[in-house]
Amino acid sequence: MQFDEIRVFFTKTGMAKYISHLDLMRCMTRALRRARVPLWYTEGYNPHLFMTFARPLPLGVESLCEVMDVRLTGEMTFREIKERLQAALPRDITVVSVAKPVHKPTEIAFADYELMLYTNSPDALAAAIRESFCRETLPVLKKAKQGRRRVEKETDIKPNILSLEVCGAEDGVRLSARVTAGDQNNVSPALLLEALLPDGGLYRHADILKRRVLLEDGEPFC
Amino acid sequence: MRKEWEYLLDGVQKPARYTGGELNSVLKDKSEVKLRYAFCFPDNYEIGMSHLGMKILYGLVNKRPDAWCERVFAPWPDMEARMRENGVPLFALESGDPVADFDLIGFTLQYELSYTNVLNMLDLAGLPVRAAERTGLTPIVVGGGPCVCNPEPVADFFDLFLPGEGEEVTDELVDLLIAHKQKGSTKLEFLRDAAKIEGVYVPAFYDVSYNPDGTLLAVTPKETAPAKVKKRVIADLDSVYYPDNFVVPFIDVVHDRAVAEVFRGCIRGCRFCQAGFIYRPIREKRSDTIDRQARALCESTGYDEVSLCSLSTSDYSEIESLVPKLLSWAPQENINVALPSLRVDNFSETLMEELKKVRKSGLTFAPEAGTQRLRDAINKNVTEEEVLKTCRQAFAGGWSAVKLYFMMGLPTETLEDIAGIAELAQKVVNAFYENPDKPKGKGVTVSVSVASFVPKPFTPFQWEPQDTMAQLEEKQKHLLESVHTKKIKVSYHQPHTSLLEGVLARGDRKLCAVLEEAWRRGCKFDSWDEFFRFDAWTAAFDACGIDPAFYANRRRDFSELLPWEHLDYGIRRAFLESENQKAHQSLTSPNCREKCAACGAARLNGGHCDAI
Repeated sequence: MQFDEIRVFFTKTGMAKYISHLDLMRCMTRALRRARVPLWYTEGYNPHLFMTFARPLPLGVESLCEVMDVRLTGEMTFREIKERLQAALPRDITVVSVAKPVHKPTEIAFADYELMLYTNSPDALAAAIRESFCRETLPVLKKAKQGRRRVEKETDIKPNILSLEVCGAEDGVRLSARVTAGDQNNVSPALLLEALLPDGGLYRHADILKRRVLLEDGEPFC
Repeated sequence: MRKEWEYLLDGVQKPARYTGGELNSVLKDKSEVKLRYAFCFPDNYEIGMSHLGMKILYGLVNKRPDAWCERVFAPWPDMEARMRENGVPLFALESGDPVADFDLIGFTLQYELSYTNVLNMLDLAGLPVRAAERTGLTPIVVGGGPCVCNPEPVADFFDLFLPGEGEEVTDELVDLLIAHKQKGSTKLEFLRDAAKIEGVYVPAFYDVSYNPDGTLLAVTPKETAPAKVKKRVIADLDSVYYPDNFVVPFIDVVHDRAVAEVFRGCIRGCRFCQAGFIYRPIREKRSDTIDRQARALCESTGYDEVSLCSLSTSDYSEIESLVPKLLSWAPQENINVALPSLRVDNFSETLMEELKKVRKSGLTFAPEAGTQRLRDAINKNVTEEEVLKTCRQAFAGGWSAVKLYFMMGLPTETLEDIAGIAELAQKVVNAFYENPDKPKGKGVTVSVSVASFVPKPFTPFQWEPQDTMAQLEEKQKHLLESVHTKKIKVSYHQPHTSLLEGVLARGDRKLCAVLEEAWRRGCKFDSWDEFFRFDAWTAAFDACGIDPAFYANRRRDFSELLPWEHLDYGIRRAFLESENQKAHQSLTSPNCREKCAACGAARLNGGHCDAI
């Protein structure tokens, strides 16, 4: 079977941040079917759409830089795919562009996040975060697997935080962070918060936005 | 969901139950509609989103430019706790607005064990649970669905009920409430007009009196209420509204697929089955209509499965032409066609061949009873030979797992009938090993699922006593002792929940107090084993001085006035009485196509029934 790999860049914001990774795959399958984009199905006993996502997004995190690869089996322009898919998607998922993939998902090295932590005492919270970040090390317990066993391993993620801006606001604290991303040394926003605020409890609720994913040389992933 | 309440979702299970925003969910400008309708399903999102009736009425109301219908489900206890802690009221999924601000609040009553959730949802909305204490014109709290054929145990909590099918009466009610809102009427003025609509039951307009022994003496109408409320029936299913899209959930729900309704009613007349009587008369859709509606739904949802919906799919008179129509387009779009509710006796070989083209699903039969005598008594006109013949066919076709559904506690049942369940399952096991072409190296699994029988209103068994918990426990034990192989797996229900279901199904208005008491003692999600609290229910019955056995385990005399007899579901009482007597003589009745039993339901449809 002849097919062309295509890459869909999309945002997942608002209430769509509560769609889990597994549910997103089902949602995208349905949208692509509704859009009647000619796509490649696996040829097993139970045929399903072939699709891969660059990196799963944690539940509750909004993103401007989601990436999905699918395989096209017929003629359709990128523009038409984008328009049809957009019309078939729920409100809070928006297609940014459709293109030929350039990089492999394994080449993703960094991710930029923006976090808004809501609290009644922004000054205290900002001070606590700054204080943490000045430490030599930032140890966290990271979930890992040893063979089949699930274990928790203490890891210092200080070297994985490339930059952190802390900015006080009226109703909370805004953080901008660049952290390492990828299969080996991924730092999720939850892990980052755990490292910076090991005692937790200093904020009510966090809005988290993944802004972009970058390659080792700092260029955008595309 | 409102941004300001989003913090509630931190740490709750499946937050997407509460966010809305699904594909095909409807947003409107609230300043441009005259009426807002909160359609409430008194169970969690996954159950409620599987319900076809909600999808129909959601689309129907939202088709109107002057009204906006939104969905509301019972928050799971983890979310409810967070809402109560933070003073956040029950809200609708589309707008995130509090339910108390809506004009109409509609609950669908699909099973009795969801009643406490209705009270809990009203309370969580910040509304008094009793209708008499909600004095303003709006919100009007409405109940629909199958349990409305006896709504007396919840009569005090609702302003009105809609017995029967909702497509037409919903529009009429919405029109009426809009007119009364514009006039600035009182609630009483609105209810007086509503009671004049056919198929509207206003419980406050009936005085109920009792005999000294606790049985019903009289139900007397007052105000504008008719002596008998006739259920509504849709005459023509080809022209009635049917949605061309469904809201597509993000999370996995129980039935997550396109559904094409095939017909309403059932020709079978199994004497235990309430659905088989209350949805009469038979009305079929034409196969072209079904094919068109199924296709439209698949296109608008992106679903990869379409399921036919009816009480007995193989009794659809055009089934042999419908299946090829569906299979002419579905497989090439990678869409699976599911045909649930096929009967053993008319599971034809051609149909079997067609079914092989679609994905192989489980094979399920419902002989319901273990012996021919008892199957005759309940009028389940299926013979052992038919079950075994179909199983042999299926085993030859490569199936190796069969599910058998039975009931326990049926009228006239003895321990011999219970042992018959195990014997029939054993014969199915034997049929597998007698098959010369049986799949190599594969064993057979026969799953036997036994439900406890609950007598229901508007069935020939409405007068029958329900088995006590002790009787059911004895029968369960006897069944387990009668099974001699591990190839047969037996599962059954807890008898406590069946007892409560039985009490509420045939109860009267005296139970409203028990229901409120049980809810105040913390009962909710009663249909979920992990939340069902029999001790709290027992305490509630005691506190109200009510004996559940009066409702569940007592034989009613034919002369007794039953609490639901002021509702007219078309079925003649004399027909039910004669079916009851035939049951006690183990005599069967032919199905409606073989011979019309003059049950009376056609009267509600201008004398027309598609079975005749």
